[in-house]
Amino acid sequence: MTDFSNALSVAASGMRAQAQRLTHVSENIANADTPGYHRKITSFEVERAMGAPDGAVRPGPVRLDQTTLPMIFDPSHPMADEAGTYEGSNVDLVIELADAREAQRSYEANLRIFDQIRQMSSSLNELLRR
Amino acid sequence: MDIRQSLAAAAYAQPRLAPAAAQPEGGGNLFTQAITNFADTVAQGEAQARAAMTTGVDPHSLVTALAQTELAVETAVTIRDRVVEAYQEILRMPV
Repeated sequence: MTDFSNALSVAASGMRAQAQRLTHVSENIANADTPGYHRKITSFEVERAMGAPDGAVRPGPVRLDQTTLPMIFDPSHPMADEAGTYEGSNVDLVIELADAREAQRSYEANLRIFDQIRQMSSSLNELLRR
Repeated sequence: MDIRQSLAAAAYAQPRLAPAAAQPEGGGNLFTQAITNFADTVAQGEAQARAAMTTGVDPHSLVTALAQTELAVETAVTIRDRVVEAYQEILRMPV
């Protein structure tokens, strides 16, 4: 039973990590028009906490995308400099949407595994019941 | 002759008694451990459910705890059914 129990925990950790990733994607999309915003990149690492099963995943430290911010020409903007430009955000909506879709697919995969573990344990108990 | 016989009987009885007394102890220990594990799992599931209702705890932990509780309860119920079935089988034995 501990194998099933560990597998459930690992699948749940994967789902949790993907949910965290989706949070960062939504933050990026929400701040797509914020001047000077650097998009957040989610990293993943192996969980090493005490009591956690081997192979569980957790979201790593958040990193900021350091690509240069685009200069947007808008002389009426309050933050515009002498040349009439200000720093925009380096969020690309296409990339964010692709990242969100990837997180969704990964979440679904973990969910399927979770469901499959439950089905397997149920069939094992069914075998015991006969 | 009489004394030797009783000594031999005592000598035979002693090793026969010892394992008979030790075996239920070991089995009982394992059984107690399993029951404690089961109770712990159920208690953890209940604590998670309570935390999810009162404080905004991570829903993934709740789902995991509930799935593990379900697994444990299902196993316990199955084993109980088998034990009761075996007991009834013994009761039905023609004496």
